[in-house]
Amino acid sequence: MIPVRCFTCGKVISPAYEEFKHRRDAGEDPKKILDDLGMDRYCCRRMLLTHKEIIDDINPYQ
Amino acid sequence: MDIIFNRLDENSCRFQIGPVNTAFANSFRRAMIGEVPTLAIEDVRIYDNTSALFDEILAHRIGLIPITTDLSGYVKREECSCNGEGCPACRAMFTMSVEGPGMVYSRDLIPEDPATIPAYDNIPIVKLTKDQKVVVEAHAILSTGKMHAKWQPTTACGYKNYPLITIGEACDGCGQCVEECPRVVLEVHGARVKVVPGRIEECSLCGLCEKACLGSGIGEEPAIKVSFEKKRYIFVVEGDGSLPVKQIIVHGLQFIKDQSEELKERIGEISGGTGDEKQE
Repeated sequence: MIPVRCFTCGKVISPAYEEFKHRRDAGEDPKKILDDLGMDRYCCRRMLLTHKEIIDDINPYQ
Repeated sequence: MDIIFNRLDENSCRFQIGPVNTAFANSFRRAMIGEVPTLAIEDVRIYDNTSALFDEILAHRIGLIPITTDLSGYVKREECSCNGEGCPACRAMFTMSVEGPGMVYSRDLIPEDPATIPAYDNIPIVKLTKDQKVVVEAHAILSTGKMHAKWQPTTACGYKNYPLITIGEACDGCGQCVEECPRVVLEVHGARVKVVPGRIEECSLCGLCEKACLGSGIGEEPAIKVSFEKKRYIFVVEGDGSLPVKQIIVHGLQFIKDQSEELKERIGEISGGTGDEKQE
């Protein structure tokens, strides 16, 4: 699951993840998406850019 | 002391403050981060959790959700007349009961008090598949950022000195400093370099323009000099949604005032005066 807040500054970033993922998978430039979503600082930007979602891989083994 | 707002929104603001000294600017910053109380979920009672996340991870994620706070409606648990047992005056209750499949969002936290709700309704908490279930009861309490970062009302909160750029007579308008400046603060105007109107506050005091000026072969001393006003500060305060930034600023200042008055009183007790007299 995407962390609720940015590790460094504490900004709530998780609500932006679903839109980010959707638009990135559609082939849009991540820079533009992050700018649109109001992620100004590089600490918040890396939270979305470098996140790997594994919940779907874990869920079958519950 | 005066405060000039350049920008003031619900969740972020930028203002100049001056004349103040560094000690005041820093205590103001620290007061806003660590001393303004907000609500955050502290205790989570888990009745059922068959999701992929452990109970403690689930509780941690719920705790980080900012809760809109009405400071007049709540008191701190240790100051409450219930002696910390928990009552509607010191605790906001939430219940959440979700069955999969689907994503659990912060909007699924059902508040007892309709004015005390999660600041964002679309924070994903956990993804559930078929037959998974989460049933929890969460208690939010009032506390400050020095206890835990989840009670900080601010995210980015900092200050810098007000920049001061002086361009001397030796400037020949070669424009090398303009090219070097990463914040686009300078421009060539005729045969001289000048600061772009309204962009002086963007200057980060990096000094690259000074180096570029020296590199252009102007001599020993650069024509452009970057310094700062010692008694003027630019603050940037960003809220997390639990309190409007205006309230954060007011409560931060109030905290400093209360502390100073207490200090004055204590000094008065020790020295036997009111604290107003000058020490011999």
